[in-house]
Amino acid sequence: MKKINDLENLAKKYRRDLFEKLLIIKQGHPGSIFSMIDIVVALYHGGFINYDSKKNLFLNKVLISKGHATAALYPIIRDFGILPKKEWDNWGHKESLLRVFGNISIPGIDVTSGSLGHCIGVGAGMAVSLKKSGQNKKIFVIISEGELYEGSTWEALLFAKHNKLDNLSIIIDINSLIILGNTRDCLNLDPIKDKISGLGINALEVDGHNFSELISIFNKANKKGELNCILAKTVKGKGSSIMENKKNWHYWNPMSKEEIEKTRKELG
Amino acid sequence: MLQRDIFIGEINKYLEKDKSIFFLSADFGAQALDELRKSFPNNFLHCGISEQAMLDIATGLALEGNKVFVYAMAPFLALRSIEQAKCGAGLMNLPICLISVGVGLGYADAGPTHYTTEDFACFRSIVGSSIYTPADSTSTKLIANELLEKPKFSYIRLDRDALPNISPEITKVDLNRGYRVFGKINNDKIVLISHGRMLHKCLEIYSNKSERFVCVDILRSKPFPRDLPKDFSSCKGIIVVDEQSPSGNLSSCVFEAFSEQNYFPKIISKSLPERYVFENGGREYLLNKFGLSNVDIIQACEKII
Repeated sequence: MKKINDLENLAKKYRRDLFEKLLIIKQGHPGSIFSMIDIVVALYHGGFINYDSKKNLFLNKVLISKGHATAALYPIIRDFGILPKKEWDNWGHKESLLRVFGNISIPGIDVTSGSLGHCIGVGAGMAVSLKKSGQNKKIFVIISEGELYEGSTWEALLFAKHNKLDNLSIIIDINSLIILGNTRDCLNLDPIKDKISGLGINALEVDGHNFSELISIFNKANKKGELNCILAKTVKGKGSSIMENKKNWHYWNPMSKEEIEKTRKELG
Repeated sequence: MLQRDIFIGEINKYLEKDKSIFFLSADFGAQALDELRKSFPNNFLHCGISEQAMLDIATGLALEGNKVFVYAMAPFLALRSIEQAKCGAGLMNLPICLISVGVGLGYADAGPTHYTTEDFACFRSIVGSSIYTPADSTSTKLIANELLEKPKFSYIRLDRDALPNISPEITKVDLNRGYRVFGKINNDKIVLISHGRMLHKCLEIYSNKSERFVCVDILRSKPFPRDLPKDFSSCKGIIVVDEQSPSGNLSSCVFEAFSEQNYFPKIISKSLPERYVFENGGREYLLNKFGLSNVDIIQACEKII
Protein backbone atom coordinates (compact mmCIF):
# COMPACT_ATOMS: atom_id res chain seq x y z
CA MET A 1 0.00 0.00 0.00
CA LYS A 2 1.21 3.47 -0.89
CA LYS A 3 1.50 6.31 1.65
CA ILE A 4 -1.32 8.83 1.93
CA ASN A 5 0.87 11.50 0.36
CA ASP A 6 1.59 9.21 -2.61
CA LEU A 7 -2.11 8.52 -3.06
CA GLU A 8 -2.87 12.23 -3.09
CA ASN A 9 -0.18 12.84 -5.69
CA LEU A 10 -1.44 9.99 -7.84
CA ALA A 11 -5.00 11.34 -7.74
CA LYS A 12 -3.69 14.76 -8.75
CA LYS A 13 -1.73 13.24 -11.63
CA TYR A 14 -4.75 11.25 -12.85
CA ARG A 15 -7.00 14.30 -12.72
CA ARG A 16 -4.47 16.17 -14.82
CA ASP A 17 -4.03 13.27 -17.27
CA LEU A 18 -7.78 12.97 -17.72
CA PHE A 19 -8.26 16.71 -18.07
CA GLU A 20 -5.75 16.79 -20.93
CA LYS A 21 -7.56 13.90 -22.62
CA LEU A 22 -11.01 15.46 -22.25
CA LEU A 23 -9.56 18.71 -23.58
CA ILE A 24 -8.63 16.84 -26.76
CA ILE A 25 -11.80 14.82 -27.22
CA LYS A 26 -14.01 17.75 -26.12
CA GLN A 27 -16.52 15.44 -24.49
CA GLY A 28 -16.90 13.28 -21.40
CA HIS A 29 -18.03 13.91 -17.86
CA PRO A 30 -15.29 15.72 -15.91
CA GLY A 31 -17.51 16.62 -12.95
CA SER A 32 -18.44 12.99 -12.28
CA ILE A 33 -14.93 11.67 -12.96
CA PHE A 34 -13.27 14.13 -10.59
CA SER A 35 -15.79 13.47 -7.83
CA MET A 36 -14.90 9.78 -7.65
CA ILE A 37 -11.24 9.67 -8.62
CA ASP A 38 -9.96 9.70 -5.02
CA ILE A 39 -12.21 6.74 -4.24
CA VAL A 40 -10.80 4.59 -7.04
CA VAL A 41 -7.21 5.65 -6.31
CA ALA A 42 -7.72 4.56 -2.69
CA LEU A 43 -9.20 1.24 -3.85
CA TYR A 44 -6.57 0.32 -6.44
CA HIS A 45 -3.45 1.87 -4.92
CA GLY A 46 -4.55 1.43 -1.31
CA GLY A 47 -4.27 -2.34 -1.59
CA PHE A 48 -7.95 -3.30 -1.82
CA ILE A 49 -7.88 -4.60 -5.39
CA ASN A 50 -5.57 -7.61 -5.49
CA TYR A 51 -3.35 -7.63 -8.54
CA ASP A 52 -1.79 -10.78 -9.97
CA SER A 53 1.38 -9.51 -11.65
CA LYS A 54 2.13 -12.90 -13.25
CA LYS A 55 -1.25 -13.05 -14.98
CA ASN A 56 -1.46 -9.27 -15.29
CA LEU A 57 -5.00 -9.08 -13.99
CA PHE A 58 -6.95 -7.88 -11.00
CA LEU A 59 -8.39 -10.59 -8.77
CA ASN A 60 -11.16 -8.42 -7.37
CA LYS A 61 -13.62 -6.59 -9.56
CA VAL A 62 -14.70 -2.97 -9.64
CA LEU A 63 -17.95 -2.15 -11.41
CA ILE A 64 -18.48 1.49 -12.26
CA SER A 65 -22.24 1.74 -12.36
CA LYS A 66 -22.03 5.47 -13.11
CA GLY A 67 -20.60 4.45 -16.48
CA HIS A 68 -20.13 8.05 -17.62
CA ALA A 69 -17.23 8.24 -15.13
CA THR A 70 -15.55 4.92 -15.98
CA ALA A 71 -12.74 6.91 -17.60
CA ALA A 72 -11.50 7.57 -14.05
CA LEU A 73 -10.13 4.00 -14.18
CA TYR A 74 -8.25 4.39 -17.46
CA PRO A 75 -5.03 5.98 -16.10
CA ILE A 76 -5.05 3.50 -13.19
CA ILE A 77 -5.29 0.40 -15.38
CA ARG A 78 -2.73 1.99 -17.68
CA ASP A 79 -0.27 2.37 -14.81
CA PHE A 80 -0.80 -1.22 -13.67
CA GLY A 81 0.05 -2.25 -17.22
CA ILE A 82 -3.31 -3.90 -17.86
CA LEU A 83 -4.33 -1.33 -20.43
CA PRO A 84 -1.63 -1.08 -23.12
CA LYS A 85 -0.08 2.41 -22.98
CA LYS A 86 -0.59 2.63 -26.73
CA GLU A 87 -4.38 2.62 -26.19
CA TRP A 88 -4.13 5.49 -23.72
CA ASP A 89 -1.82 7.46 -26.03
CA ASN A 90 -4.07 6.88 -29.03
CA TRP A 91 -7.23 7.99 -27.24
CA GLY A 92 -8.26 11.27 -28.78
CA HIS A 93 -5.78 10.97 -31.66
CA LYS A 94 -6.20 7.62 -33.43
CA GLU A 95 -8.39 4.55 -33.21
CA SER A 96 -8.39 3.40 -29.57
CA LEU A 97 -10.24 0.93 -27.40
CA LEU A 98 -11.07 3.72 -24.98
CA ARG A 99 -14.45 5.38 -24.96
CA VAL A 100 -16.18 8.01 -22.84
CA PHE A 101 -18.26 5.14 -21.42
CA GLY A 102 -16.42 1.97 -20.40
CA ASN A 103 -17.10 -1.47 -21.78
CA ILE A 104 -15.75 -5.00 -21.39
CA SER A 105 -13.67 -4.86 -24.56
CA ILE A 106 -11.25 -2.63 -22.59
CA PRO A 107 -8.78 -4.72 -20.54
CA GLY A 108 -9.39 -4.13 -16.83
CA ILE A 109 -12.97 -2.93 -17.25
CA ASP A 110 -15.31 -5.53 -15.76
CA VAL A 111 -18.69 -4.35 -17.01
CA THR A 112 -20.24 -2.46 -19.89
CA SER A 113 -22.12 0.38 -18.24
CA GLY A 114 -23.67 3.71 -19.01
CA SER A 115 -27.34 3.17 -18.34
CA LEU A 116 -27.84 3.89 -14.64
CA GLY A 117 -29.12 1.55 -11.96
CA HIS A 118 -27.72 -1.74 -13.22
CA CYS A 119 -24.53 -2.54 -11.39
CA ILE A 120 -25.62 -3.36 -7.85
CA GLY A 121 -27.63 -6.19 -9.44
CA VAL A 122 -24.72 -7.20 -11.67
CA GLY A 123 -22.34 -7.11 -8.70
CA ALA A 124 -24.79 -9.13 -6.61
CA GLY A 125 -24.94 -11.78 -9.33
CA MET A 126 -21.14 -11.94 -9.43
CA ALA A 127 -20.92 -12.05 -5.64
CA VAL A 128 -23.43 -14.94 -5.43
CA SER A 129 -21.47 -16.89 -8.02
CA LEU A 130 -18.14 -16.32 -6.23
CA LYS A 131 -19.62 -17.32 -2.88
CA LYS A 132 -21.24 -20.50 -4.22
CA SER A 133 -18.04 -21.53 -5.96
CA GLY A 134 -16.01 -20.82 -2.81
CA GLN A 135 -13.82 -18.12 -4.35
CA ASN A 136 -12.40 -15.59 -1.95
CA LYS A 137 -12.75 -12.55 -4.19
CA LYS A 138 -14.49 -9.24 -3.70
CA ILE A 139 -16.75 -7.13 -5.85
CA PHE A 140 -16.81 -3.34 -5.47
CA VAL A 141 -19.65 -1.40 -7.08
CA ILE A 142 -19.50 2.37 -7.37
CA ILE A 143 -22.81 4.09 -8.04
CA SER A 144 -23.79 7.73 -8.22
CA GLU A 145 -26.37 9.00 -5.77
CA GLY A 146 -28.56 9.71 -8.81
CA GLU A 147 -28.86 5.95 -9.24
CA LEU A 148 -30.85 5.88 -6.03
CA TYR A 149 -33.71 7.20 -8.15
CA GLU A 150 -33.72 3.91 -10.10
CA GLY A 151 -36.02 1.23 -8.70
CA SER A 152 -33.66 -1.56 -9.78
CA THR A 153 -31.05 -0.18 -7.34
CA TRP A 154 -33.34 -0.85 -4.40
CA GLU A 155 -34.47 -4.21 -5.79
CA ALA A 156 -30.84 -5.28 -5.97
CA LEU A 157 -30.03 -3.97 -2.48
CA LEU A 158 -32.85 -6.13 -1.07
CA PHE A 159 -31.43 -9.14 -2.89
CA ALA A 160 -27.86 -8.47 -1.73
CA LYS A 161 -28.95 -8.08 1.88
CA HIS A 162 -31.14 -11.20 1.82
CA ASN A 163 -28.32 -13.28 0.37
CA LYS A 164 -25.77 -11.96 2.94
CA LEU A 165 -23.33 -10.85 0.25
CA ASP A 166 -20.41 -9.81 2.45
CA ASN A 167 -18.11 -10.11 -0.57
CA LEU A 168 -19.91 -7.16 -2.16
CA SER A 169 -19.10 -3.54 -1.24
CA ILE A 170 -21.25 -0.75 -2.55
CA ILE A 171 -19.89 2.78 -2.68
CA ILE A 172 -22.26 5.66 -3.32
CA ASP A 173 -20.59 8.77 -4.73
CA ILE A 174 -22.71 11.52 -3.20
CA ASN A 175 -21.81 14.79 -4.91
CA SER A 176 -25.36 16.13 -4.47
CA LEU A 177 -25.72 17.18 -8.10
CA ILE A 178 -27.64 15.70 -10.98
CA ILE A 179 -28.00 17.18 -14.47
CA LEU A 180 -30.77 19.64 -13.61
CA GLY A 181 -29.48 20.72 -10.24
CA ASN A 182 -29.15 19.79 -6.58
CA THR A 183 -30.80 16.52 -5.62
CA ARG A 184 -32.46 18.24 -2.65
CA ASP A 185 -34.20 20.67 -5.00
CA CYS A 186 -34.93 18.28 -7.87
CA LEU A 187 -36.25 15.29 -5.91
CA ASN A 188 -34.94 14.89 -2.41
CA LEU A 189 -33.08 11.66 -1.63
CA ASP A 190 -32.26 12.44 1.99
CA PRO A 191 -31.80 10.93 4.44
CA ILE A 192 -29.81 8.43 2.37
CA LYS A 193 -28.13 6.81 5.38
CA ASP A 194 -31.45 6.08 7.08
CA LYS A 195 -32.86 4.61 3.91
CA ILE A 196 -29.91 2.25 3.43
CA SER A 197 -29.76 1.36 7.13
CA GLY A 198 -33.50 0.75 7.03
CA LEU A 199 -32.82 -2.22 4.75
CA GLY A 200 -30.54 -3.65 7.43
CA ILE A 201 -27.43 -2.78 5.43
CA ASN A 202 -24.36 -1.44 7.24
CA ALA A 203 -24.12 2.20 6.07
CA LEU A 204 -20.72 3.84 6.57
CA GLU A 205 -20.14 7.54 5.96
CA VAL A 206 -16.86 8.93 4.67
CA ASP A 207 -15.32 12.05 3.15
CA GLY A 208 -14.75 10.83 -0.41
CA HIS A 209 -11.68 13.04 -0.85
CA ASN A 210 -9.90 12.18 2.39
CA PHE A 211 -7.49 9.29 1.78
CA SER A 212 -6.95 8.46 5.46
CA GLU A 213 -10.70 8.15 5.94
CA LEU A 214 -11.17 6.21 2.71
CA ILE A 215 -8.47 3.67 3.64
CA SER A 216 -9.89 3.27 7.12
CA ILE A 217 -13.47 2.79 5.87
CA PHE A 218 -12.40 0.26 3.20
CA ASN A 219 -10.58 -1.71 5.92
CA LYS A 220 -13.73 -1.63 8.03
CA ALA A 221 -15.89 -2.72 5.09
CA ASN A 222 -13.49 -5.57 4.31
CA LYS A 223 -14.56 -7.49 7.40
CA LYS A 224 -16.56 -10.62 6.71
CA GLY A 225 -20.14 -11.20 7.68
CA GLU A 226 -21.77 -7.96 6.62
CA LEU A 227 -22.99 -6.28 3.47
CA ASN A 228 -21.56 -2.77 3.49
CA CYS A 229 -22.63 0.36 1.76
CA ILE A 230 -20.18 3.26 1.90
CA LEU A 231 -21.68 6.71 1.56
CA ALA A 232 -18.87 8.87 0.18
CA LYS A 233 -19.52 12.59 0.38
CA THR A 234 -17.83 14.15 -2.60
CA VAL A 235 -17.59 17.37 -4.61
CA LYS A 236 -18.56 17.29 -8.25
CA GLY A 237 -15.61 18.50 -10.34
CA LYS A 238 -13.25 18.26 -7.33
CA GLY A 239 -9.89 19.91 -7.98
CA SER A 240 -10.96 22.56 -10.47
CA SER A 241 -12.56 25.74 -9.16
CA ILE A 242 -14.22 26.22 -12.55
CA MET A 243 -15.95 22.86 -12.28
CA GLU A 244 -16.48 22.32 -8.55
CA ASN A 245 -20.14 22.07 -7.53
CA LYS A 246 -21.27 23.21 -10.99
CA LYS A 247 -24.07 21.17 -12.46
CA ASN A 248 -23.19 22.15 -16.04
CA TRP A 249 -19.78 20.48 -15.60
CA HIS A 250 -21.50 17.11 -15.61
CA TYR A 251 -20.64 17.34 -19.31
CA TRP A 252 -17.62 18.85 -20.99
CA ASN A 253 -17.90 22.58 -21.70
CA PRO A 254 -15.86 24.77 -24.04
CA MET A 255 -13.05 26.55 -22.13
CA SER A 256 -11.13 29.75 -22.84
CA LYS A 257 -7.31 29.67 -22.90
CA GLU A 258 -7.29 31.38 -19.51
CA GLU A 259 -9.67 28.79 -18.03
CA ILE A 260 -7.55 25.97 -19.39
CA GLU A 261 -4.39 27.42 -17.88
CA LYS A 262 -6.12 28.09 -14.58
CA THR A 263 -7.40 24.50 -14.43
CA ARG A 264 -3.97 23.11 -15.33
CA LYS A 265 -2.46 25.13 -12.52
CA GLU A 266 -5.04 24.00 -9.99
CA LEU A 267 -4.72 20.36 -10.97
CA GLY A 268 -0.96 20.65 -10.50
CA MET B 1 -48.04 -31.29 -19.68
CA LEU B 2 -47.44 -27.56 -19.46
CA GLN B 3 -44.65 -26.16 -21.61
CA ARG B 4 -43.02 -24.60 -18.53
CA ASP B 5 -42.85 -27.98 -16.79
CA ILE B 6 -41.33 -29.58 -19.87
CA PHE B 7 -38.69 -26.85 -20.22
CA ILE B 8 -37.75 -26.76 -16.54
CA GLY B 9 -37.89 -30.57 -16.40
CA GLU B 10 -35.10 -30.67 -18.98
CA ILE B 11 -33.08 -28.20 -16.89
CA ASN B 12 -33.58 -30.50 -13.87
CA LYS B 13 -32.18 -33.44 -15.84
CA TYR B 14 -29.22 -31.34 -16.99
CA LEU B 15 -28.47 -30.17 -13.46
CA GLU B 16 -27.68 -33.76 -12.50
CA LYS B 17 -24.49 -33.48 -14.57
CA ASP B 18 -23.77 -29.75 -14.84
CA LYS B 19 -23.98 -27.47 -11.84
CA SER B 20 -22.94 -24.29 -13.65
CA ILE B 21 -26.58 -23.39 -14.12
CA PHE B 22 -28.48 -20.75 -12.21
CA PHE B 23 -32.27 -20.58 -12.39
CA LEU B 24 -33.79 -17.26 -11.35
CA SER B 25 -37.46 -16.62 -10.76
CA ALA B 26 -39.33 -13.37 -10.15
CA ASP B 27 -41.82 -15.21 -7.95
CA PHE B 28 -43.28 -17.26 -10.76
CA GLY B 29 -43.79 -20.97 -10.21
CA ALA B 30 -44.22 -24.37 -11.84
CA GLN B 31 -44.45 -27.92 -10.63
CA ALA B 32 -41.06 -28.68 -12.18
CA LEU B 33 -39.63 -25.60 -10.47
CA ASP B 34 -40.70 -27.01 -7.09
CA GLU B 35 -38.61 -30.06 -7.95
CA LEU B 36 -35.65 -27.90 -9.00
CA ARG B 37 -35.79 -25.90 -5.77
CA LYS B 38 -35.95 -29.08 -3.73
CA SER B 39 -33.24 -31.03 -5.53
CA PHE B 40 -30.89 -28.17 -6.49
CA PRO B 41 -31.33 -25.38 -3.93
CA ASN B 42 -27.85 -24.00 -4.68
CA ASN B 43 -28.79 -23.41 -8.28
CA PHE B 44 -31.98 -21.48 -7.60
CA LEU B 45 -32.31 -17.79 -6.74
CA HIS B 46 -35.55 -16.09 -5.80
CA CYS B 47 -35.21 -12.50 -6.98
CA GLY B 48 -38.44 -11.21 -5.51
CA ILE B 49 -41.04 -9.63 -7.75
CA SER B 50 -38.22 -7.65 -9.31
CA GLU B 51 -37.80 -8.47 -12.96
CA GLN B 52 -35.34 -5.64 -13.58
CA ALA B 53 -32.95 -6.65 -10.81
CA MET B 54 -33.37 -10.29 -11.84
CA LEU B 55 -31.93 -9.51 -15.27
CA ASP B 56 -29.05 -7.52 -13.74
CA ILE B 57 -28.29 -10.36 -11.31
CA ALA B 58 -28.40 -12.76 -14.27
CA THR B 59 -25.86 -10.53 -16.03
CA GLY B 60 -23.46 -10.77 -13.09
CA LEU B 61 -23.87 -14.55 -12.91
CA ALA B 62 -23.26 -14.89 -16.64
CA LEU B 63 -20.18 -12.64 -16.47
CA GLU B 64 -18.79 -15.16 -13.96
CA GLY B 65 -19.20 -17.94 -16.53
CA ASN B 66 -22.54 -19.49 -15.54
CA LYS B 67 -25.44 -20.58 -17.73
CA VAL B 68 -28.39 -18.51 -16.59
CA PHE B 69 -32.14 -19.02 -17.00
CA VAL B 70 -34.52 -16.29 -15.87
CA TYR B 71 -38.18 -17.04 -15.51
CA ALA B 72 -41.31 -14.91 -15.12
CA MET B 73 -44.72 -14.18 -16.49
CA ALA B 74 -44.38 -12.95 -20.07
CA PRO B 75 -45.63 -9.34 -19.87
CA PHE B 76 -43.34 -8.48 -16.98
CA LEU B 77 -40.24 -10.31 -18.14
CA ALA B 78 -40.43 -9.06 -21.70
CA LEU B 79 -41.44 -5.47 -21.21
CA ARG B 80 -40.46 -4.40 -17.72
CA SER B 81 -36.91 -5.68 -17.90
CA ILE B 82 -36.19 -5.16 -21.59
CA GLU B 83 -33.54 -2.48 -21.03
CA GLN B 84 -31.72 -4.74 -18.56
CA ALA B 85 -31.77 -7.49 -21.19
CA LYS B 86 -30.31 -5.08 -23.74
CA CYS B 87 -27.56 -3.71 -21.48
CA GLY B 88 -26.60 -7.10 -20.02
CA ALA B 89 -27.17 -10.09 -22.28
CA GLY B 90 -27.34 -7.93 -25.41
CA LEU B 91 -24.40 -5.52 -25.08
CA MET B 92 -22.11 -8.07 -23.46
CA ASN B 93 -23.28 -11.06 -25.52
CA LEU B 94 -24.03 -13.22 -22.49
CA PRO B 95 -25.66 -16.67 -22.39
CA ILE B 96 -28.83 -15.65 -20.59
CA CYS B 97 -32.03 -17.42 -21.52
CA LEU B 98 -35.31 -15.68 -20.73
CA ILE B 99 -38.23 -18.06 -20.24
CA SER B 100 -41.42 -16.11 -20.73
CA VAL B 101 -44.74 -17.76 -19.89
CA GLY B 102 -48.21 -16.84 -21.09
CA VAL B 103 -47.68 -15.06 -24.40
CA GLY B 104 -50.58 -13.64 -26.38
CA LEU B 105 -53.91 -13.73 -24.59
CA GLY B 106 -52.76 -16.70 -22.50
CA TYR B 107 -53.87 -15.08 -19.26
CA ALA B 108 -57.47 -14.54 -20.35
CA ASP B 109 -59.51 -13.22 -18.54
CA ALA B 110 -56.93 -11.38 -16.46
CA GLY B 111 -57.06 -8.36 -18.76
CA PRO B 112 -54.55 -6.29 -20.72
CA THR B 113 -51.95 -5.92 -17.95
CA HIS B 114 -51.41 -9.67 -18.15
CA TYR B 115 -51.75 -10.12 -21.90
CA THR B 116 -48.52 -10.14 -23.85
CA THR B 117 -49.39 -8.97 -27.29
CA GLU B 118 -46.30 -6.91 -27.99
CA ASP B 119 -43.42 -8.97 -26.56
CA PHE B 120 -42.45 -10.34 -29.94
CA ALA B 121 -42.05 -6.90 -31.51
CA CYS B 122 -40.17 -5.59 -28.48
CA PHE B 123 -37.77 -8.48 -28.09
CA ARG B 124 -36.95 -8.95 -31.72
CA SER B 125 -35.66 -5.37 -31.74
CA ILE B 126 -32.98 -6.23 -29.17
CA VAL B 127 -29.75 -6.87 -31.06
CA GLY B 128 -28.22 -10.30 -30.52
CA SER B 129 -31.33 -12.03 -29.21
CA SER B 130 -32.70 -15.31 -30.55
CA ILE B 131 -36.44 -15.96 -30.27
CA TYR B 132 -38.14 -19.35 -30.00
CA THR B 133 -41.88 -20.04 -29.84
CA PRO B 134 -42.57 -23.76 -29.42
CA ALA B 135 -45.96 -25.06 -30.49
CA ASP B 136 -45.87 -28.39 -28.67
CA SER B 137 -44.11 -30.51 -26.05
CA THR B 138 -41.52 -32.08 -28.31
CA SER B 139 -40.34 -28.77 -29.69
CA THR B 140 -40.23 -27.29 -26.17
CA LYS B 141 -38.00 -30.16 -25.09
CA LEU B 142 -35.73 -29.85 -28.12
CA ILE B 143 -35.34 -26.09 -27.67
CA ALA B 144 -34.54 -26.54 -23.95
CA ASN B 145 -31.82 -29.07 -24.72
CA GLU B 146 -30.39 -26.97 -27.52
CA LEU B 147 -30.02 -24.00 -25.15
CA LEU B 148 -28.61 -26.13 -22.34
CA GLU B 149 -25.94 -27.49 -24.66
CA LYS B 150 -25.25 -24.23 -26.46
CA PRO B 151 -26.40 -21.41 -24.19
CA LYS B 152 -26.93 -18.02 -25.79
CA PHE B 153 -28.94 -14.84 -25.33
CA SER B 154 -32.41 -16.12 -26.08
CA TYR B 155 -36.04 -15.32 -25.46
CA ILE B 156 -38.35 -18.33 -25.15
CA ARG B 157 -42.07 -17.72 -25.59
CA LEU B 158 -44.06 -20.40 -23.81
CA ASP B 159 -47.80 -20.78 -23.79
CA ARG B 160 -49.70 -20.71 -20.54
CA ASP B 161 -51.68 -23.80 -21.55
CA ALA B 162 -50.58 -27.32 -22.39
CA LEU B 163 -50.51 -27.54 -26.19
CA PRO B 164 -51.25 -30.89 -27.88
CA ASN B 165 -48.36 -32.68 -29.55
CA ILE B 166 -48.09 -32.31 -33.28
CA SER B 167 -47.51 -35.19 -35.63
CA PRO B 168 -45.11 -35.88 -37.26
CA GLU B 169 -42.73 -34.95 -34.46
CA ILE B 170 -40.26 -32.17 -34.89
CA THR B 171 -36.69 -33.19 -35.69
CA LYS B 172 -33.31 -31.68 -34.91
CA VAL B 173 -33.01 -30.79 -38.59
CA ASP B 174 -36.20 -28.71 -38.27
CA LEU B 175 -34.83 -27.01 -35.19
CA ASN B 176 -31.53 -26.22 -36.86
CA ARG B 177 -33.18 -24.58 -39.84
CA GLY B 178 -35.76 -22.88 -37.60
CA TYR B 179 -39.01 -24.16 -39.10
CA ARG B 180 -40.97 -27.22 -40.11
CA VAL B 181 -43.40 -27.68 -42.97
CA PHE B 182 -46.69 -29.52 -43.14
CA GLY B 183 -47.69 -30.39 -46.73
CA LYS B 184 -45.98 -29.90 -50.06
CA ILE B 185 -45.64 -26.54 -51.71
CA ASN B 186 -46.77 -25.76 -55.28
CA ASN B 187 -47.92 -22.66 -57.19
CA ASP B 188 -51.58 -23.13 -56.30
CA LYS B 189 -51.18 -23.40 -52.58
CA ILE B 190 -51.54 -20.80 -49.87
CA VAL B 191 -48.98 -20.93 -47.07
CA LEU B 192 -50.17 -20.49 -43.49
CA ILE B 193 -47.27 -19.32 -41.33
CA SER B 194 -47.52 -19.20 -37.55
CA HIS B 195 -45.97 -20.28 -34.25
CA GLY B 196 -47.02 -21.33 -30.75
CA ARG B 197 -50.68 -21.74 -30.03
CA MET B 198 -51.91 -20.15 -33.26
CA LEU B 199 -50.09 -22.81 -35.25
CA HIS B 200 -52.73 -25.28 -34.07
CA LYS B 201 -55.47 -23.20 -35.71
CA CYS B 202 -53.47 -23.14 -38.94
CA LEU B 203 -52.93 -26.88 -38.75
CA GLU B 204 -56.67 -27.42 -38.35
CA ILE B 205 -57.34 -25.40 -41.51
CA TYR B 206 -54.57 -27.21 -43.36
CA SER B 207 -55.81 -30.66 -42.27
CA ASN B 208 -59.27 -29.92 -43.62
CA LYS B 209 -58.01 -28.73 -47.00
CA SER B 210 -54.50 -30.00 -47.50
CA GLU B 211 -54.89 -29.70 -51.29
CA ARG B 212 -55.21 -25.94 -50.85
CA PHE B 213 -52.82 -25.14 -48.01
CA VAL B 214 -49.32 -25.67 -46.69
CA CYS B 215 -48.59 -24.92 -43.05
CA VAL B 216 -45.29 -23.67 -41.62
CA ASP B 217 -44.29 -23.70 -37.94
CA ILE B 218 -41.69 -21.02 -37.22
CA LEU B 219 -39.83 -22.43 -34.23
CA ARG B 220 -37.09 -19.87 -34.30
CA SER B 221 -38.29 -16.52 -35.53
CA LYS B 222 -34.98 -14.76 -34.81
CA PRO B 223 -32.67 -15.16 -36.58
CA PHE B 224 -35.40 -15.73 -39.13
CA PRO B 225 -34.90 -18.94 -41.14
CA ARG B 226 -32.81 -17.90 -44.12
CA ASP B 227 -33.98 -20.63 -46.49
CA LEU B 228 -37.67 -20.03 -45.97
CA PRO B 229 -38.32 -17.25 -48.51
CA LYS B 230 -36.71 -19.19 -51.35
CA ASP B 231 -38.56 -22.39 -50.44
CA PHE B 232 -41.93 -20.62 -50.56
CA SER B 233 -41.31 -18.02 -53.24
CA SER B 234 -43.55 -19.80 -55.74
CA CYS B 235 -46.67 -20.09 -53.55
CA LYS B 236 -49.97 -18.44 -54.36
CA GLY B 237 -49.88 -16.29 -51.25
CA ILE B 238 -49.00 -16.24 -47.57
CA ILE B 239 -51.14 -15.70 -44.47
CA VAL B 240 -49.18 -14.99 -41.27
CA VAL B 241 -51.19 -15.67 -38.13
CA ASP B 242 -49.96 -14.25 -34.82
CA GLU B 243 -51.63 -13.65 -31.45
CA GLN B 244 -49.94 -10.27 -31.20
CA SER B 245 -50.67 -6.61 -31.90
CA PRO B 246 -50.40 -5.54 -35.55
CA SER B 247 -47.06 -3.73 -35.27
CA GLY B 248 -43.87 -5.76 -35.54
CA ASN B 249 -45.39 -9.22 -35.14
CA LEU B 250 -44.34 -12.40 -36.97
CA SER B 251 -45.68 -11.02 -40.25
CA SER B 252 -43.07 -8.22 -40.09
CA CYS B 253 -40.30 -10.86 -40.05
CA VAL B 254 -41.90 -12.58 -43.03
CA PHE B 255 -42.28 -9.33 -45.00
CA GLU B 256 -38.68 -8.37 -44.27
CA ALA B 257 -37.19 -11.78 -45.03
CA PHE B 258 -38.99 -12.17 -48.36
CA SER B 259 -38.32 -8.64 -49.57
CA GLU B 260 -34.65 -8.79 -48.54
CA GLN B 261 -34.27 -11.77 -50.86
CA ASN B 262 -36.27 -10.09 -53.65
CA TYR B 263 -39.35 -12.28 -53.35
CA PHE B 264 -42.66 -10.48 -53.33
CA PRO B 265 -45.55 -12.92 -52.84
CA LYS B 266 -48.87 -11.60 -51.57
CA ILE B 267 -48.62 -11.60 -47.77
CA ILE B 268 -51.55 -10.96 -45.43
CA SER B 269 -51.09 -10.42 -41.68
CA LYS B 270 -53.75 -11.83 -39.36
CA SER B 271 -53.19 -10.50 -35.85
CA LEU B 272 -55.04 -8.91 -32.96
CA PRO B 273 -56.31 -5.37 -33.54
CA GLU B 274 -54.57 -2.15 -32.48
CA ARG B 275 -56.40 -1.87 -29.18
CA TYR B 276 -56.27 -3.22 -25.63
CA VAL B 277 -58.57 -6.13 -24.88
CA PHE B 278 -60.74 -5.57 -21.80
CA GLU B 279 -63.51 -8.00 -22.74
CA ASN B 280 -63.99 -11.29 -20.93
CA GLY B 281 -65.12 -14.68 -22.17
CA GLY B 282 -61.98 -16.79 -22.37
CA ARG B 283 -59.10 -16.96 -24.82
CA GLU B 284 -60.93 -18.73 -27.63
CA TYR B 285 -63.84 -16.30 -27.38
CA LEU B 286 -61.46 -13.36 -27.55
CA LEU B 287 -59.55 -14.82 -30.51
CA ASN B 288 -62.82 -15.32 -32.36
CA LYS B 289 -64.05 -11.86 -31.46
CA PHE B 290 -60.86 -10.12 -32.54
CA GLY B 291 -60.30 -11.63 -35.96
CA LEU B 292 -58.34 -14.79 -35.24
CA SER B 293 -61.00 -17.47 -35.72
CA ASN B 294 -60.54 -20.20 -38.31
CA VAL B 295 -63.24 -18.49 -40.39
CA ASP B 296 -61.35 -15.19 -40.26
CA ILE B 297 -58.17 -16.89 -41.42
CA ILE B 298 -59.96 -18.68 -44.27
CA GLN B 299 -61.59 -15.38 -45.30
CA ALA B 300 -58.13 -13.83 -45.52
CA CYS B 301 -57.21 -16.60 -47.94
CA GLU B 302 -60.12 -15.57 -50.16
CA LYS B 303 -58.50 -12.15 -50.54
CA ILE B 304 -55.44 -13.83 -52.00
CA ILE B 305 -57.49 -15.87 -54.44
